[in-house]
Amino acid sequence: MDTTSEALLPSVARGDTTAFESLYDRYSSTLYALLLRILANPEDAQEVLQETFVKAWTNARMFDAARGSEIAWLISIARSRGIDRLRSRKIRGDRENDAGREISIHSSFVEKTTGADKAVQSQESSAVRSALSELPEAQRVALELAYFEGLSQSEIAGKLGEPLGTIKTRMQLGMKKLRERLQAFK
Amino acid sequence: MTHEEFESIAALDAIGAASAEETRTLNEHLASCNSCRRARDEYAEAATLLARELPPVAPPPEVREHVVETIADEDAEEERARFSNRWWLAIAATLFLALWGWREFGIRVARENVRSQQAQIERLKSENALLHEQKEKLSVEMSSLAAPETREIALAGQQISPTASARVFLEPGRRRAIVFFQSLPSNPKDKSYQLWIIRADQPRPQSAGVFDVSDAGNAQIVIENLPLATEMKALAVTLEPKGGVEQPTNTNFYLMGNS
Repeated sequence: MDTTSEALLPSVARGDTTAFESLYDRYSSTLYALLLRILANPEDAQEVLQETFVKAWTNARMFDAARGSEIAWLISIARSRGIDRLRSRKIRGDRENDAGREISIHSSFVEKTTGADKAVQSQESSAVRSALSELPEAQRVALELAYFEGLSQSEIAGKLGEPLGTIKTRMQLGMKKLRERLQAFK
Repeated sequence: MTHEEFESIAALDAIGAASAEETRTLNEHLASCNSCRRARDEYAEAATLLARELPPVAPPPEVREHVVETIADEDAEEERARFSNRWWLAIAATLFLALWGWREFGIRVARENVRSQQAQIERLKSENALLHEQKEKLSVEMSSLAAPETREIALAGQQISPTASARVFLEPGRRRAIVFFQSLPSNPKDKSYQLWIIRADQPRPQSAGVFDVSDAGNAQIVIENLPLATEMKALAVTLEPKGGVEQPTNTNFYLMGNS
């Protein structure tokens, strides 16, 4: 993923379909990986990916580069829709059936990322992974349960068997470190 | 709550872990705090590192095709909606103009009617005032005629107009008289009849009034400021230049009578 390239959303906001296709090509693999991580189901992930890009097309004019990067804006749309889908599915009781498929999905789709994107994306992912690897495991787990599974503080505390205050502090410390690492990236 | 505490909430909010109450409190604070707003944006960006650490996975090609088709359809739909909106706007504008024009026309017609009715009312008022004045006048004249002191003098047609006559109703107390002329020959357009008072105390006749007669030869005049009855010797009518003269220009009397 090339985050240093020229921003595409301003052109997309003007209705430039070529810029939109470039946007898709540039970010779809990152967003799809995120949605697979959240939903653990390729069909759902593909549907939400489509919804994410359609929303990006219709709402591109709302993107404000002063507030964050293009990829962060797209990730926040995808995550929000992914968590919504996950919650509605949880209500239907599907989640349990899909949980076991997570690892195999990751391994089968990773191989499909190809070409230059793969090289650039791998480069950045490695840097990010390095940032995340610096987090203590307990902080990282708490952050992931909130971010990928949409769990509340008390749900995480219950799941990990830890006091609520401890979980809250872990998440705050973890986010603080990520923020510091992000500033170092810049 | 301190800025640090708000930033801690922002950290949780970025990964969706803040409670609804915390998010509400934070948003209220962000409305007036630039530094916390910046921290919120940075935490939101930092949270995306969790997604960016994942190894990228290329979605199936059909997803891309479907997305591109969908936005093309949305564009077409939007264009159709825009066209439809323009069409409806044009129809609405035309209808509005037509209704507005019709309303304006109605208002103009109503205003014309009001103006015409007001003019009619003014005309009727004026006629009414005139009739009222005439009624008053007639009433005064009738009361004069009916008054016990009123004296009647008859004027007889002379050689030049033997069938003519006149009756003078004299109110000595008010030194006033009403005179009714009948069957006088029509006066030419450049001539008028003139009534003269021949007084006992003066050698020259005194003009009492100038009048024209109707097609039937009739006329009616009111004489004010008459001389005292004792000073009036006779009354006579001559035909004079239009508008009357100081003294009779001829002695062709049309009517004459002694008081």
